[in-house]
Amino acid sequence: MTPEQYRARCVRFLNAQPHMCRLGIRLIRAEKSKATLVLPVQPQLISTVLDTYLHGGVLTTLVDAASSVSTLCALDRFELCPTLDLRIDHMRTPVQSQPLYVAAECYRVTRSVLFTRASVYQDDPAHPVAYAIATFMRPEGGATESAFSTLIEGEPDAATA
Amino acid sequence: MQQLLELVTEAKASGDYQPLVELIPYARILGVQCECYGEEIIFRLPAKADNIGNPTVPAIHGGVIASFMELTALFQLTLQLPQPGLAKIIDFSLDYMRAGLDRDTFAVCHISRQGRRVGNCSVLAWQERKSRPIAQARAHFLLDRGN
Repeated sequence: MTPEQYRARCVRFLNAQPHMCRLGIRLIRAEKSKATLVLPVQPQLISTVLDTYLHGGVLTTLVDAASSVSTLCALDRFELCPTLDLRIDHMRTPVQSQPLYVAAECYRVTRSVLFTRASVYQDDPAHPVAYAIATFMRPEGGATESAFSTLIEGEPDAATA
Repeated sequence: MQQLLELVTEAKASGDYQPLVELIPYARILGVQCECYGEEIIFRLPAKADNIGNPTVPAIHGGVIASFMELTALFQLTLQLPQPGLAKIIDFSLDYMRAGLDRDTFAVCHISRQGRRVGNCSVLAWQERKSRPIAQARAHFLLDRGN
């Protein structure tokens, strides 16, 4: 697959998810096994009462999303892979005033399990605010013909045409 | 931050925890609620269209479940031990066990150890029955000692 095809698949995947739209999480880059996402600065996430760092949980959602998107770039066909495990280490506190980027890579694909790693940063990729690893289960029997797959890849006929 | 201690005191006195929860913008976006039953605090994530990840099942976004559990631990720490500021998360580890369907989700946090600097938390999330959890998590937080 070309980077454009990965990109189109990832964008459809993000747009199909109401919560990704709610937060304005966007794809920056997609290539074989890798994806970069951004959480833009937005008034709804700014706390005026508390300090100036980005509070509570939204980084976790971003990391989960990016790890999941990286798996789409590692598979030939779309497979809906539920997350098995997610682990995040927070190295520094992100600031509210800058976008949050996450670069995720699906570094190993087996018959049953996908392994990902991700790095979260703001101004400099060399100074990450967090690292994460995750594992995903592949559906039995390979690609799924679920309604969600159809949403992402189109009708089976269209995909093979 | 003196305000946090005051908010905790007020919440405990009135039984209305919403002002405390809504200190965190993302908790407000998710719609996190908090109810106290004696000493046990149960956090609730009401079903909400905006929290959906997979619209065809439909199922709650995995990140929403994770964040809800992280916030549960943070609020439990804030309520259980008075701190001048919010604790900072050090690490978070989550096992997903079942899909979170488009219905109310509940979570409780148990603080298994609370040292001078670090709090060890474990969080359990479920929907219809606590004995059928949808996810379990462990987290470490750096406590705010006011310096």
